Amino acid sequence: MNKTTGILPRLATALKIALAVAFLIPLVFTILVSFRPEAEPVTKGSIFFGSEITLVNYQRALVIAPWSLHYLNSFLFVAGVLLVQLVTVTCAAYAFARLRFFGRDLLLMIILLQLMIPSGVLLVQNFRTINMLGLFDTRIALMIPYWGSAFGVLLLRQTFREIPIELDEAARIDGANLLQVIRHVYVSNAIPAYLAFALVSVSSHWNEFLWPFIITRSEEIRPLTVGLNKLIKTTDQGAFYGQLMAGTLIVITPLVILFVLFQRHFVESFARSGIR
Amino acid sequence: MSYRFRALIVFVISLLLTGSAIGQGSVVIDFYFPSATANDAEGIFQGYADAFQEENPGISINPVFTGSYTDTRNTILTELQGGGAGPDVAVMLSIDLYSFAEEGYIVPAQTFIDGMEDGEAFVADFFPALMSNGMDADGNVWSIPFQRSTPILYYNADLLAEAGYDSPPTNNAELVEIAQALTTEDRDGLLVPVAGGFPIWMYQSFAIAYGQNIVSEDPTQVFFNTPEAVAAVEFVRSLGTDLGVGPAGGAAWGDTPTAFLAGQAAMIYHTTGNLTRILRDADFEVGVWYLPSGPAGEDGTGYGAPTGGGNLYIFDDGSKSDAEMDAIWKWVTFLSSPEIQADWGATTGYIASNASAWETEPLASLAMEYPHYLVARDQLQHVGKEFSSYATITIQGIINGTLQSILTGEAEDAQAAMDAAQAQIDGILAEYR
Amino acid sequence: MSMNTPRRPLRSIAIPYLLVAPTLILVLMFNVLPAIRTVNDSLYKPARGLNSAGKPPQFVGVQNFQDLFDDSHYMGTRFTRSFRNTIIFALATVGIGVPLGLLLAILLNREQPLLGLWRFAVFYPSLLPLIGAASIWSFIFSDSIGLANAILKSVGHPGLNWLGDRNLVLASVVIVNIWKQAGYFMIFFLAGLQNIPRDLYEAAALDGADSLQQFAYLTLPLLRRTLLFVIVVSFIFAFQTVEQLQALGEGGPADSANLLLYLIFQNISERRNWGYVNAMTIILIGVVLTFTLSNFLLFERDEKDS
Repeated sequence: MNKTTGILPRLATALKIALAVAFLIPLVFTILVSFRPEAEPVTKGSIFFGSEITLVNYQRALVIAPWSLHYLNSFLFVAGVLLVQLVTVTCAAYAFARLRFFGRDLLLMIILLQLMIPSGVLLVQNFRTINMLGLFDTRIALMIPYWGSAFGVLLLRQTFREIPIELDEAARIDGANLLQVIRHVYVSNAIPAYLAFALVSVSSHWNEFLWPFIITRSEEIRPLTVGLNKLIKTTDQGAFYGQLMAGTLIVITPLVILFVLFQRHFVESFARSGIR
Repeated sequence: MSYRFRALIVFVISLLLTGSAIGQGSVVIDFYFPSATANDAEGIFQGYADAFQEENPGISINPVFTGSYTDTRNTILTELQGGGAGPDVAVMLSIDLYSFAEEGYIVPAQTFIDGMEDGEAFVADFFPALMSNGMDADGNVWSIPFQRSTPILYYNADLLAEAGYDSPPTNNAELVEIAQALTTEDRDGLLVPVAGGFPIWMYQSFAIAYGQNIVSEDPTQVFFNTPEAVAAVEFVRSLGTDLGVGPAGGAAWGDTPTAFLAGQAAMIYHTTGNLTRILRDADFEVGVWYLPSGPAGEDGTGYGAPTGGGNLYIFDDGSKSDAEMDAIWKWVTFLSSPEIQADWGATTGYIASNASAWETEPLASLAMEYPHYLVARDQLQHVGKEFSSYATITIQGIINGTLQSILTGEAEDAQAAMDAAQAQIDGILAEYR
Repeated sequence: MSMNTPRRPLRSIAIPYLLVAPTLILVLMFNVLPAIRTVNDSLYKPARGLNSAGKPPQFVGVQNFQDLFDDSHYMGTRFTRSFRNTIIFALATVGIGVPLGLLLAILLNREQPLLGLWRFAVFYPSLLPLIGAASIWSFIFSDSIGLANAILKSVGHPGLNWLGDRNLVLASVVIVNIWKQAGYFMIFFLAGLQNIPRDLYEAAALDGADSLQQFAYLTLPLLRRTLLFVIVVSFIFAFQTVEQLQALGEGGPADSANLLLYLIFQNISERRNWGYVNAMTIILIGVVLTFTLSNFLLFERDEKDS
């Protein structure tokens, strides 16, 4: 942008700092609380570090749930969801972007309904479906409702529509079949959109709680959020904030690292994807 | 697609296909439990399960964590309504009895007790107050007390002594007097945790102390607009308004013990479930006593508190074999045995639910060292039934909402609000009379 | 739009359907068909009373809906309050959260020192699990031990009952939601901003437009599509994310901050209320559809214009 001097840029900087501080306070507070003796009021001891710095919250949090198992399960869950989504979403997005067929708009509308129906209210019915399929308490049951993604279809359809049709035609003249066209023309020209979609998909499923909780019983397949909930559910004695904050940090660390490493790529991915 | 990426996919898929494997030819009991303590409930239950399996080689226990009490209830109902098998045994709130009995999901423990050689002695060992929510109007036992609690008065003995009080308040008049004497700008004299989603439990203490519990043995009767019920809520409201010894609208559940430990509250009403933690974390002398008596009677007769906590429920839709049912009952009696109750109570702070557990280690020595635990136990002779009726969740919702609007000042006329609530409640219960 | 040859063999007619089928079947199975069943179930009342287990529900027409709007009915006040709150909550989070996201994007668009850190500072809330985020705030808002009141007290204010005052709870929940989502919206706006050619600004500057004018006449019009998209997404979020209420006052005293979806959760395990649960679900889906469909239509029309 142009070089400006005067009040506006300084105001912008002040605003930026103020907002960043306001947004960061809860995180700083979370970290501090996780090292502070359990549920000590902020008025006790140093406002930042309490009466002492302690690791006891982490020790307690680590005992309460098998975190490495939960990590593996969460990883498998988000990876399993994403991999299948990439296939289903690509196929559907291509059809909606580039093929003309009877009922196309209607089918797209039906798929988009997914965005508008809160899935939480359909728990009992979806449980019944899973049970009928004989999938209760399996990894597949965890993932299957997320395998179709209206958001992904919407995002990639948009991206595919902006890929020049000439590339498609040229590939076909060269003798490429449909799958080759999709793979070499569309997929390879939409990598940023896929990255953007992956970010959204991974971060939302990483934090999914209700469905995984309802549909699984075996510790062997339950994800991190179930472990986190073991720290939250201390109703008789009130909340144990220290170990809860420790647990929250344990859960989000991988996502934070991912974001910090790829932050710039993500923004660019979104910029180059169809959504803008 | 690179080789490494493909290898990753293969790896992921192969992991996906490995399901969970449980059970090796023996009877497997699915045991669902909520976690309502700060302890590693899962680890403790696994320990109990191991000990049990050692004694009973043909039976294996599969403990499943199911969240809070509410989550546990919802999880089980979703599973059963969705055609799933559900648990064999579960720890659920003692007040969940009628919801599950009405649906035909659970079976009475009475059948098993009748088949025991020493059935009567087994039942008699439990504190009668803890049995009240597990029994129907005909006296049949449905569920067995497991992790039970009741509210008690915690007081900061150092602060009371400073102000010249050597003993805790035993009735509401003394309660108000001491609370007012100890209220300062930075400190509340008394915190009663009735703010938040669940005021009904603490409120019941006052209703009982005023002489009329809001429930009876009969699950089709609720007494929410009696003069005693109205006077009780008006007293609670006045603590935060006219009397000024605590925040208007009451204190929040989770903050109350923390404020007490920090010296920001001189006295609090809270669950016995917090006793272990408060004794551990307090840097002053902690006193506990019965909840002060209301105007219902002179010292003693006006004491009152509801019970709380979870019971063991047995699930069967009629399809389980005798061998399975035997195994289930063995597990239930194991968990409610004096040995386990003494251990569970000492570890978590719940009131061990049978008399003999108090003579069993490690609880016996703990109670010797901290007589506070005995106060909690002895208050049981004065406690009443926790709110439970047909359509419990719905009616509890009506009562909670009404209490909240009275306590926060939205509904100024308590009597009118409670009359309206009572009319709605009677409308629902009419379907069961 | 691609033009296909008019006459095609059967195989190529089937291809689009085969490509769409996996997504379509999954969506039908886990979203649309259950929702349609819900419409049907909302016209029934479950059997209630003694020995009602296993008895079939009774057809009552629109009675369930009427009860919800009847203030003397036990669900009536609860529903109308939650419904009103849901609309207020959605308008407030979108009305404040989306402009805030845009503001953040404008501030953090240009190259500057520590850009990654600045962006992280406002984006990380959207990476937190909802219940963890809500718990952090429940501690911050906590009456006697929390940070918010410690700050207020340090400047001489007696402190607020953030999660207990019926006039304040909804605002507290809105604050948490905006904090959680503004950074997420920012990412979309950043993407949109990066697609605006730089030379447009240079030209505008040469014409003497100041920053505010550039924003009003250049940035905003060019971001129209992003804006519409973010508004759609944020409305959908606002209606569907309620797990945080569990840690933030459970709907407030007497439903003063309850939201429709949370009220549905509160009643989902009580069979006698299933008629109401289904009716409320239909109403909620209706509201979401109304809000988003109108935005989608705008979005699509805009698309065709461009």
